[in-house]
Amino acid sequence: MSDELLVVRAQLGNRAALEDLVTRWQRPVWLYVRRMLDAERADDVAQEAWIAVVRALPRLREPDRFAPWLFTIVRRATLNRMRRQYADRHDLVGDFESDVDRPHDGIRDPVDGLMDRAEMVARLAGIPVLEREVLVLHYLEDLSVEDCAQVCGVPAGTVKSRLNRARLMLRAHVEEEGERT
Amino acid sequence: MTNEEPRASAPEIVAGLHGTLSARARLRAVAILVVGLAGAVFLAALWWTEPGPLPVLTRVAFGLMMVFCLIWAVYGIWLLRSRVPLFATDRVVAAWIGLAASALTSSLLVVMTVQRGSGAWAVIVVATALVAVAAVLVVRAHRHRAALLRREHALTGGDPELLE
Repeated sequence: MSDELLVVRAQLGNRAALEDLVTRWQRPVWLYVRRMLDAERADDVAQEAWIAVVRALPRLREPDRFAPWLFTIVRRATLNRMRRQYADRHDLVGDFESDVDRPHDGIRDPVDGLMDRAEMVARLAGIPVLEREVLVLHYLEDLSVEDCAQVCGVPAGTVKSRLNRARLMLRAHVEEEGERT
Repeated sequence: MTNEEPRASAPEIVAGLHGTLSARARLRAVAILVVGLAGAVFLAALWWTEPGPLPVLTRVAFGLMMVFCLIWAVYGIWLLRSRVPLFATDRVVAAWIGLAASALTSSLLVVMTVQRGSGAWAVIVVATALVAVAAVLVVRAHRHRAALLRREHALTGGDPELLE
């Protein structure tokens, strides 16, 4: 059964469809939150995000665009928690809100083929929040660049730049480890 | 970080949503909105159709009671907008509750105004507008639900396995 059908049924008031939808997306939502926050807070934020999703679900106008809509809400819940957590650390959350698109330097996917998903997940903790977020959404949640842009509320070009920087950082990590071993 | 799993299972997440999804919460929000709005309209009509000028204190009391009712109505709107999900079927039920409350309030207003014999036409216009707005909400709720049902039918394509 497609997500769209589950969403439409949930919007009609079908409780079983809503529960199926939550069950289907529970792990991807949690994984996104976990990549952005520590384990202690991830469960709380995921639950908060689901409450916000259920409250907003009747107003979702495009049931076929459920995934980017879902992650927009999950991202907001995560961001709210990070804002509280790092209230006095402007370096992290301030940049989240007022990111300036840096020019694309034309380097393409230097880490493609260097590592699989599992390796990427293991290295995510060392990547800054903005870049980590697009890596998670694009590579781990399989959202397109356009959907990532919708979720993050930035132009697609910004997402591409962030992905590019993230790949460079990952490559640097890989090379650094290679030199050490 | 790679092999981590969420501590809360899907049924636990769903259980955590029970408060948000409870029928009682939805009914309460609709009742707060309907009673608040009906009360404000009723008091306004009562004030308007007073045959003579009212003492200052009575006017202040009317004003305060109207503000009180409007605050409850705004609270009901806020609940329905951001705290309590109203799904398509709930919207239909809520709209019919609104229509019934509007019809009742309007009938009371008209009877009361005719008995008093002052400002009858104005109150009849207000009462008719109240019922008309409630009727429009009923039509919109039914249309929204019908559109979702059509979409559901289109997505299942008559497949018996997908049909409930």
